[in-house]
Amino acid sequence: MKIISVENVVKCFPVGDGKFTALDHISLDFFTGEFAGLVGPSGSGKTTLLNIIGSLDKPSKGKAQVAGKDIEALTHKQAAQLRNHSIGFIFQVFNLLPVYTVFENVEFALLLQKKPWHERKKAVMDALEWVGLENMADKKISKLSGGESQRVAIARAMVKRPRIMLADEPSANLDAKNTHSIMETMKTLNQEFKTTFLFSTHDEKVMQYLDRIIHLEDGKVVKDEIITSRKEDF
Amino acid sequence: MPVLAIKLAYRNLVGAGLRTWLNVSVLSFAFVVIIFHNGLIDGWNQQARRDTIAWEYGFGHLLNKAYDPYDPFSLQDGHGILQTKMRQRLIPVLIQQGTLYPGGRMVPVLLKGIETDQEILKLPTKFFLKTDADIPALIGKRMARALKLKKGDRVLLRWRDKNATFDAANITIIGIFNNNVPTVDNGQIWIPIEKLWEMTGLSGHATLFIATNDYVHVPIPGWHFKDHDTLLSVLDNMIAMKKVGGSIMYFLLLALALLAIFDTQVLSVFRRQREIGTYIALGMTRLQVVALFSMEGAMNSLLATLVGSLYGIPLLFYFAKTGIGMPATADDMGISIAERIFPVYGAGLILGTIALVVISATIVSFLPAKKIAKMDPADALKGKIQ
Repeated sequence: MKIISVENVVKCFPVGDGKFTALDHISLDFFTGEFAGLVGPSGSGKTTLLNIIGSLDKPSKGKAQVAGKDIEALTHKQAAQLRNHSIGFIFQVFNLLPVYTVFENVEFALLLQKKPWHERKKAVMDALEWVGLENMADKKISKLSGGESQRVAIARAMVKRPRIMLADEPSANLDAKNTHSIMETMKTLNQEFKTTFLFSTHDEKVMQYLDRIIHLEDGKVVKDEIITSRKEDF
Repeated sequence: MPVLAIKLAYRNLVGAGLRTWLNVSVLSFAFVVIIFHNGLIDGWNQQARRDTIAWEYGFGHLLNKAYDPYDPFSLQDGHGILQTKMRQRLIPVLIQQGTLYPGGRMVPVLLKGIETDQEILKLPTKFFLKTDADIPALIGKRMARALKLKKGDRVLLRWRDKNATFDAANITIIGIFNNNVPTVDNGQIWIPIEKLWEMTGLSGHATLFIATNDYVHVPIPGWHFKDHDTLLSVLDNMIAMKKVGGSIMYFLLLALALLAIFDTQVLSVFRRQREIGTYIALGMTRLQVVALFSMEGAMNSLLATLVGSLYGIPLLFYFAKTGIGMPATADDMGISIAERIFPVYGAGLILGTIALVVISATIVSFLPAKKIAKMDPADALKGKIQ
C-alpha cells in the first residue's frame, strides 16, 4: 500500500538575490513497511525531502502525499496533527528534551494526543522495553550515553505507533557498535509493526540494513535500487 | 491545551533548576516589596483617616458659608450664630487670628475656642475644667517644640476683638497634647470657647461646628455641611500622590524582575530553538508552543507567589504586628503620621498584586514566544539562529 507519494517535487531556497534548488523535480513512492534510505552527499537534498515528507516544510512545486494527506495543502494545525499521529522523527543529535526524564521524553507525544495516564504509562514502558531501556525510565537525559539517547529517541518516535518513521542521519553521533545496535532495533520494529522507515544517511553501516536505497545528487534522484528479497513485498 | 501547557510548563520550569529559581527569587522579592509598600501606605492611610477623624473632623463639619479653611482672610467674617434649636448635637468652634510673643519672638497663631466638656474630639479639653488660669491654653507637641514652650509657661498673646481693637494678655499653657494630626497642632492655640467669646466679644459665634455621631444634617441657611468623604478628600489625595511616588520604586523593582524573565525567554528563542523544533516535530502546533512559553512565564510568577508567601507571610505579619517606626522628621510632612505605622494588607491588595505580577510576567513571556511561533520548524530543528 502506497503511504508516501512524491510527485515532481521542487524545493527552492532564497540565497542572496537568487535561489538555490535543493530538490529538482523529484518523484518517488514509498510503501507500507519499507525500510528505505535517501543516500547522497551533503547538499544533495536528503534532509529537505525528509522535511517535506515530515510536513515540516512544503514543496515549492509539485505534490507530496503522506498518509493520504496532501502536504502542500495542510494548515499548520493539520500538519501538526499528521506529525503527532502518523510520523515519528529520529534526529542526528537526538533532540531529546533535556529537562525531562527518559519516561517524560517518550511520553511527550502521547500527552499531545491526550491519552489517559494508564495508557500512556503502558505505552511508554512498552516502547522502552522495545529499545532495552525499561530500567532507565527515571533517568535524566544528561545521564545517558549517545547510544542510549538515540534509543530513547527511537522509543519516543515509536511510542505512538506511527505509520512512518523518518530518521535524519541517525548514526552521525554514534560509534559503530551503537549504530549496529540501533539499526537492528529499528529493523525489528519495522518488521514487527510494519512501520515504514525512511532514512537520510551517508553512513555505510546504516546502508547495509536498508532494503531500498535512493541515491540523490544535486536535488535529483540518480539511482533507486531495491536491495533485498523484501522487494516482492512492496 | 491549557492543562497540557500547565503540565509541560511545570516540567520545564522544574527541570530548568537554577535558572527558574533565580527568576522566581527576584520576582518573589518584587512581589513581597510591592505588597509591603502598598500595605504600609494603606496602613498609613487608615491611621491618618482614623486620627484625623478622632482629632479634627468628628462626624463632619458644619461650616459658616463665609469661612474658607484655605483662606485666612475669611476668618474675619467667617463666623456666625446658630439658633439653639439648630445647635443640637453640634460642638461649636470659633477660630480667630492672634499673635503670640514667646521669648521675645512674634508668631502668628490661630486661636481656636472649643467647649470644655466636649468629648467628640480627642483634644484633652477636660484640662480646662481643672485650672484656674485666667486664659488657659492647650497646644500640641509640634507647636510646643517649635515655640519651645512647656506646660505652665505664660506667654503674651495679642488678638483683635469684634471691633477690630487690639487687646493683649498672658495665656497659660496648661497642657501639651501628643497627637498625630498636624492640622490641630501647628500654629494653633486651643482655649475654652467661652473665654474666646469673652476676649473677642463674639459671644455665641462659631466658625464651624463639629458634628456628633447622632447628628442628622438638615440644610441651614448660611452654613454648609461637609461629611467625612469631603473632608478627607484632601488627605486621600495627598496619600494617593505619595502612593504614586512610592510606586515608582516598586515598578522599577518589578521591571527588573520582568526583565529577568523577558531576558530568559528571549534567550530561549535562540538557545531553545532545537527544543522548539522538536516540539513542533512531535506534533505541537505553533499556538501550543506560544501557549507553553507564555505559561512558563505565568508559572514563574505563580511560583514566585508561592515562594514569596513562604518568607513574605511571616515577614509581613511581623511588620503588621509591630509596625514600622517613622523617623522624627516625618512628623513635619504636614499630614497625619503616627510614630509607628502598622501596614494593612487587604485581600484586594494581595490579589491585585498577584494579578499584576502574573499578567506582566505572562505578557513578557508571550512577546518572545510570538517570535518563536514564526520560526521555520526545519531551521529550528537545526538550531539555526534566524
